[in-house]
Amino acid sequence: MKGLVPLFLGVFGTFAFSWVGLTVIPNLQIGALNPQMDEEGTDIYPAPKSGMADRGRRIYAANGCIYCHSQQIRPGYAYADVDRLRDAGPSPRPKWAERRSAPRDYIFDRPVVLGQERMGPDLSNIGKRAPTEEEKPAAAPGANPPAASPAAAQPPPSPNSAPPKPPNANAPAAPAGSPPPPAGSSSAPPTNAAPPKPGAGAPPQSASPPAPSAGSSPASAAAANPSPAPSASPNPNGMPPVYSAAWHHRHLYSPRSMSPDNRDSTMPAYKFLYEKHQIGAERSADALQLTGADAPPTGWEIVPTYDASCLVAYLMSLDQSHPLKEVKTAEGAAPPAASPPAVPAGSPAPPPAGSPPPAPPKK
Amino acid sequence: MTPTADIPLKEPVISAAASDAEQLERARIDASTRVPVLMFYASAMVWLLIGTLLAGFVSFKLHSPDWLSDVSFLTWGRLRPVHMNVMVYGWASMAAMGTAIWLMARLCRTTLRHPLLIVAGIWFWNIGVLIGVIGILMGYSTGYDWLEFPPYAAVVLFVAYALIMSWAVLMFRFRRGDQIYITQWYLLGAFLWFPWLYAAAQAMLFVVPVQGVMQAAVGWWYANNLLFLWLGAIALGTAYYMIPKVIGRPVYSYHLATIGFWTYALFSSWTGMQRLVDGPFPAWMITASIAATILTIIPVATVGLNHHMTMQGYFPVMRYSPTLRFTVFGAMSYTVFSIIGILISLRSTARYLHFTEASIAYSHLGLYAFFTMVMFGSMYYTVPRLVGREWRYATLIKLHFWASAYGVGLMSLMLLVGGFAQGATQDDPSMSFIQSVASALPYLRGRTVAALLLTISHFIFAFHFGLMLFGLGRTSTVPTFLNPVEAEGSETHL
Repeated sequence: MKGLVPLFLGVFGTFAFSWVGLTVIPNLQIGALNPQMDEEGTDIYPAPKSGMADRGRRIYAANGCIYCHSQQIRPGYAYADVDRLRDAGPSPRPKWAERRSAPRDYIFDRPVVLGQERMGPDLSNIGKRAPTEEEKPAAAPGANPPAASPAAAQPPPSPNSAPPKPPNANAPAAPAGSPPPPAGSSSAPPTNAAPPKPGAGAPPQSASPPAPSAGSSPASAAAANPSPAPSASPNPNGMPPVYSAAWHHRHLYSPRSMSPDNRDSTMPAYKFLYEKHQIGAERSADALQLTGADAPPTGWEIVPTYDASCLVAYLMSLDQSHPLKEVKTAEGAAPPAASPPAVPAGSPAPPPAGSPPPAPPKK
Repeated sequence: MTPTADIPLKEPVISAAASDAEQLERARIDASTRVPVLMFYASAMVWLLIGTLLAGFVSFKLHSPDWLSDVSFLTWGRLRPVHMNVMVYGWASMAAMGTAIWLMARLCRTTLRHPLLIVAGIWFWNIGVLIGVIGILMGYSTGYDWLEFPPYAAVVLFVAYALIMSWAVLMFRFRRGDQIYITQWYLLGAFLWFPWLYAAAQAMLFVVPVQGVMQAAVGWWYANNLLFLWLGAIALGTAYYMIPKVIGRPVYSYHLATIGFWTYALFSSWTGMQRLVDGPFPAWMITASIAATILTIIPVATVGLNHHMTMQGYFPVMRYSPTLRFTVFGAMSYTVFSIIGILISLRSTARYLHFTEASIAYSHLGLYAFFTMVMFGSMYYTVPRLVGREWRYATLIKLHFWASAYGVGLMSLMLLVGGFAQGATQDDPSMSFIQSVASALPYLRGRTVAALLLTISHFIFAFHFGLMLFGLGRTSTVPTFLNPVEAEGSETHL
């Protein structure tokens, strides 16, 4: 080969060809998607995540969760993703997903954490698996569902939601939505009873995941409390209800203590996201419920740092169950429970402002 | 060792005087590249050792997760990207740039001008990698594969690269002779592709971030292109230089080489999306990448055939020449790597292998069995010419080779089989998820054994390289052969 010019042109041409073909053209196709909404402009999905959950995603990425956990569900016709059941959970065990993932599910994600390997299970819908959500449709049909599915961890538009205060035990717990166990601000008294006693521990915790309800309307949260109690079924030894915030905290702190089946788990413990405190006047509301070898000495407690709370807020916000027009949902059974579009949230909030307010719907 | 004489060889006929002049010129060129290239190699060796130790940690911690897990910067999820980035930007890129600059000077038949600017670039590059590594350890990883370095580290790398490569490209301006050799196509391509790729990826992820899943598409487009168009291209170019050089015989076919080069540039640059098979993307993107991956069989076949025909009849030289042994191993691994890449990219196999350790095997086949082995080979060739000493111990070279070859072979095997075990379990929804983890565990332990072998191999090489660097090599005019050479073998300059 002679001459530099043809070589240079060829080198540039091949690069430009692949750059345009694999990044620019796809970007024109799926790079500017808007959230989906119904005719009235309500029932918006997806919505941006709350400040805590958003920060939690960064912690998720920075600590390498992405190298073992995927967040993408492949289509059911070729893969087992949609048919697979979660290892843990109340029976019947929850499915991984109702439908495959679509580009629209990720439009607010940055960084996007699709993952590349499954040394751990897929987490696309882990937030949806929070215990209250399972029970709610049965308990109060139509009462709260919008809050349950898409907006699980959206910040309630209450004044105390935004400012992420430093890792003070109680303060950030409630506002961000999901994080630590009890819905601290609204139902303080019951929380203290929570940690030690398994049976009594369940209700306040299960109230927490869709914390919007706790934040904005304590009444409805209180109403919901009694019903999820039975959902805490797999709760033999002081274990928090599966996929509750308290469960996630414990799982992050000591992954192999969750159940005997879990001893093969290769997940590292993230103890450095937790702090050991001497118990002050009273036990912190978000202290971990630990048993056995992990339990701190008497007089001490393990509490999540702000980072840990954010990470759990993020996990609790992961939910792709909302139907998308462009994706077929696997079976007809699931969607009604997940999201009845007929029940719109109260006010048509524009998407960037975040989260449709999860207050009790009009109808 | 009888060269088959039926191939029309264009043996250069050089008079004794001309040969002397040429040797003098070569010596002058080598002397001008001495400091920067040795600095590249020394930095690369340090990063290689760090990366190797990290690899051992990462491998061990994956099956024994409680080991050293309570310190934030030793958690598995931070060490893994540090290992990756140290290997890609610390070891691989620096070794590649060192070899590429030396080759460029030799092939342009021009001395390296202003080597001190390149030396400054090397310092910047090292600092950039160090900043990036510390950033990841402190918990500022960006979360994009192969681009975990915080953006400010990327800026430093850019400055460094500009300093280094502008001078390498300038050499091209001052080249003597009209003919541009095959190696130069690959090197020039790589020199230009890398900054374009890196700039495009940085711009689309950090400056003007693209939306949602497009970030993952840009990330994998970048990662695969970096592997092929930057590291892979330099490795192929190096092989095109070393193999004919060592056996003293021209490349079999220029025509095949041209086809191989352009199809390589065209098809391998379109791969990447197969890593996202059936994810939340338009199907055509994935399918295009799978098709491009399948089409890479064309450059693989042409390059492989070309190397094979060049080597035809000279394979026994591998018994003696360390350079040839490593380079041919690497060139053969390129074929294996590409074929496995094709096999695991197909949708029917992706069902069992996607989301498993098999993709790690693929990366290691490309980055280690192919790229790194070629680089080792080139270092065995260049370092004696740069320091004026010969490698001291043939035994150490042999140990290095066999530990590396068995190490990477065992690792790939473990990860492929373990990945299949893992994936087959995950494909059966009646099995619980944790069973898939359990089924991969024995293979992950086997991988740690492989990592141990590679650690031994790298420390041996580093020790040997250190001896050379400190002038403790053999003073001799005869290169170090792996095995005693019979009389007939000695006329080739090994």
